[in-house]
Amino acid sequence: MDAYFYIILVVGLVSTGICLAAGILKKAPNDITILSVAAVEVALVVYLVGSIIRVIAGEPIAGEAWEFWGYLATAMLLPPAAVYWSILERTRWSNFVLAAVGVTALVMAARMNQIWY
Amino acid sequence: MKEQHPRTALGDAPARNTRNTGPGRLLIAVYAVFAISASARAGYQILTKFSEAPLAYLLSAFAALVYVVATVSLAKAGSTWFKVSLAAVLVELVGVLVVGALSVFDSVAFPHETVWSLFGRGYGFVPLLLPILGLVWLYRRRPSQGKTAL
Repeated sequence: MDAYFYIILVVGLVSTGICLAAGILKKAPNDITILSVAAVEVALVVYLVGSIIRVIAGEPIAGEAWEFWGYLATAMLLPPAAVYWSILERTRWSNFVLAAVGVTALVMAARMNQIWY
Repeated sequence: MKEQHPRTALGDAPARNTRNTGPGRLLIAVYAVFAISASARAGYQILTKFSEAPLAYLLSAFAALVYVVATVSLAKAGSTWFKVSLAAVLVELVGVLVVGALSVFDSVAFPHETVWSLFGRGYGFVPLLLPILGLVWLYRRRPSQGKTAL
């Protein structure tokens, strides 16, 4: 597990925690929950940029390269999709959808780490 | 995910012939994640190592298809889509129970991983939980409860 994984671990868990709490408190998605999911996206962008630099620098990916990029691309689609959906329906339930993004990104980052090393 | 039908402003709306508001949205979101990941995994298995275990990988593809159908049908309104959802969720429940049991008792015949192996242990048992939650949700939003919209 590398630093990128730990960044996503922290950001993802914090985001999930915030969104879960907001959902449990029966709040509609607000700036805080949406921005926490945006932070997950930023963490994934950092992972993306860092990975591109590492590949250019000549570091090999141990597993299947396209599997790694596939996971990363899919993970990066989740936050925008969840935010878009939470804007369509502004109820507490959308906060639980947003909460799912952080843990999903975390699981996918763990898998990406396994593929890389 | 595009939706063209009218939406209610707030959750806990009176029962209509839809299943994509309130908790249903969370359910659809989780189904969508499984549809994507199961499809990708099955596609990868079939394209790269199909001959190793055709049965297991065809099963993976079937599971992926079930998740796709469940996701789409839950997002759609109307009684027909309700029936499609119900069928998909029931197939999923049977699938996870049968494949899960077979992978425990007959691990020789099922040595290769599918989403449903060991009751979905590789996915935090979510595959086992999903159809149960799905059935609860479908029961609560069954068409006879409200007006037959559309």
